[in-house]
Amino acid sequence: MTWPDSIQEIIEEFQEIDDQFERLEVLMDFSSEVDELPVEEWNDSNLVKGCQSIAHIEVTIRDDKVWMKAAADAKMVQGLQGILSIAVNGSTPQTVLELTPAFAEEAGILVSLTPSRSNGFRTMFDMVQHRVKEAIE
Amino acid sequence: MGDWMKQDFPIFSREINGRPLVYLDNAATTQKPSCVIDAMSNYYSSSNANVHRAVHTLAGEATEGYEECRKLLKSRYNCDYAVITSGTTEAINLAARAWGEYNLRAGDAVVLTEMEHHSDIVPWQMLAERIAIELRFIPVENGELDMEAFDVALEGAKLVCVVHTSNVLGIRNPVEEIINKSKAVNAKVLIDAAQAVPHELIDFKELGADFLAFSAHKMCGPTGIGALLISEDAFSEMEPFMGGGDMIETVTLQGSTYQSNEHKFEAGTPRIAEGFGWAAALEWISKVDLESHHTRLLDIARDVSRQLKEKGMTVYSSLGPEDAAVVSFTHPTIHPEDFARLLDAQGIAVRTGHHCAQPLMERLGVNGTIRASFYLYNDESDASIFLSGIDRVLEAMA
Repeated sequence: MTWPDSIQEIIEEFQEIDDQFERLEVLMDFSSEVDELPVEEWNDSNLVKGCQSIAHIEVTIRDDKVWMKAAADAKMVQGLQGILSIAVNGSTPQTVLELTPAFAEEAGILVSLTPSRSNGFRTMFDMVQHRVKEAIE
Repeated sequence: MGDWMKQDFPIFSREINGRPLVYLDNAATTQKPSCVIDAMSNYYSSSNANVHRAVHTLAGEATEGYEECRKLLKSRYNCDYAVITSGTTEAINLAARAWGEYNLRAGDAVVLTEMEHHSDIVPWQMLAERIAIELRFIPVENGELDMEAFDVALEGAKLVCVVHTSNVLGIRNPVEEIINKSKAVNAKVLIDAAQAVPHELIDFKELGADFLAFSAHKMCGPTGIGALLISEDAFSEMEPFMGGGDMIETVTLQGSTYQSNEHKFEAGTPRIAEGFGWAAALEWISKVDLESHHTRLLDIARDVSRQLKEKGMTVYSSLGPEDAAVVSFTHPTIHPEDFARLLDAQGIAVRTGHHCAQPLMERLGVNGTIRASFYLYNDESDASIFLSGIDRVLEAMA
C-alpha cells in the first residue's frame, strides 16, 4: 500500500530498528509531535474510552484541514498520539477518512505494544475519524 | 538456587525480545513445570474420557486421575470437603450462592476488608443486591488492616471474608486472630488464600476457617481449576446453586435429589485434564521446602525493595517476616505502563495496574502500581537483571 510521505517516513524509521527497547524509545520521541490539549480542556467528550491509561483527543476542522490536540498520562500513548497527529494534521477531512490504521501495523508499532494499547491506538484512530465525519456531516 | 529449578520449567528456555525471560509476574500466575504439562497432555493422549459414570477402562482412568486431585487436596490441606471449582473467583461465588444465600437474611452483616481482590468484593455486593445484607469494610492503615475497626465491625456479624495474603502488597493478614475473634461471636469465616497456598502450607482444620478458596495456577498448576475447602459445619448448611449432570442422585420429571458429597456442587463435566495437571503440581510442590524458599525469596524481595527506594521509587510493600515476596512500587513521574513495556523490551515480565484491587489503590492514593512478584524458580540473578533493567528505563526516561 502507498502511504502519504509523512507516514511512509514513520514506517521506514521503525522498520530500521531491530531492538525492541529502542523502538519504544523512538515511539516515545513522537510525543513531541503532539499539539497538547491543556488539562482544563479535558472532558468526557474528548476522553478516549477503552484505553488503559488516561487519554484525550480533540479534533477540529479549520479551512478544510483537520487538526488534533491530544494528551495522555503515559508517554507511549503520547507517542502514539504524536504519530496520529503526523498522519492527520493538515490533511483534508476526505484524506483522513480514507486513511486506515494499517500503517501502524506496517511500521511494526502495534506488535511492539500490549494488545490493550494496540487497541488503544485503534480506538484513538477510530475516534479521530468519527469526529471528522461528525464535523463534515 | 533457582537455576536447577528453572530446568523443570520449559518456558525458561524461551527468549523475550532477544533476552532470556525473567518472569516476575507470579502473583498473577506461575509458570508450569514439565510434569504438569505432561500430565495434562498424557491425559488427553491416553486416558481421555468423561468421569464418574461410565464403566469402561478410560472412564475409570479419567475418574481416578481427577479424584486423585481431590484426594491430594484433602490430605495436603487437611480438610474433609474440597469442592473443585474453576478457581478462587468461582470458589468465592460458590460460597456466596450456596452458603450465603441460604444462611444470611436481610440486614445480616458481612465483614470484608479494603484489601480484598475484586473476586472477594463483587460476589458479596451481588448478594447484597439480592438479599439486602449489610457489607462492612475494614479499612487499611499504613498497608495493614485496622484491627480496632475489625473488632467494632465484628459485632453481630454473620460472616467474615478476608484475604490471607494481599496480591498487591504481599502482606499476610493476621488471619489466625481474625478467625479466633470471629469464631468467638459465631461468625463464619471465608479466607481468600489465592496468594497464600503458593507460599505456605495451610492446615485447614487447625486454621479453623469455614471456607478456604484458592487456585491451582498460582502454585504451578493449570489455569481454570481451583478449590473451595469447606468445614463440616458449613458444608451441612449449603445447598447447590448450579444444577445439571453429575451433581444429582436421581432425576424424575417431578423433581430431583442431589448427591451428598462435594459432587453436589460440581454440576456438569468437570475440569478433568486440569485435575490431572493440578494433581501433578500438588505432588511436585510437596517435594519443595516452601519455608526455606519463603525466607530466600523474601530476602531477595527486601534487597530489591531497598534498591528501588534508593533509585527514587515509592515501595508500598512492607515485606514483613510472614509476607509474600511481592514488591509493589511506583516512580514519581514514569507511568507504570511505560515502565512495564520498557522492562518487557528487556525480557522482564512484571505487572502494572490496579491488580483487581481498586479500593486498595484508592486507599494508597494511586491509580496503579508496578508489581514484581517472586516465586520458587526466581533467584538473585533475576533480581539483578530486573534492577539493571530498571536502571536502563530510568536512563531512557531521564
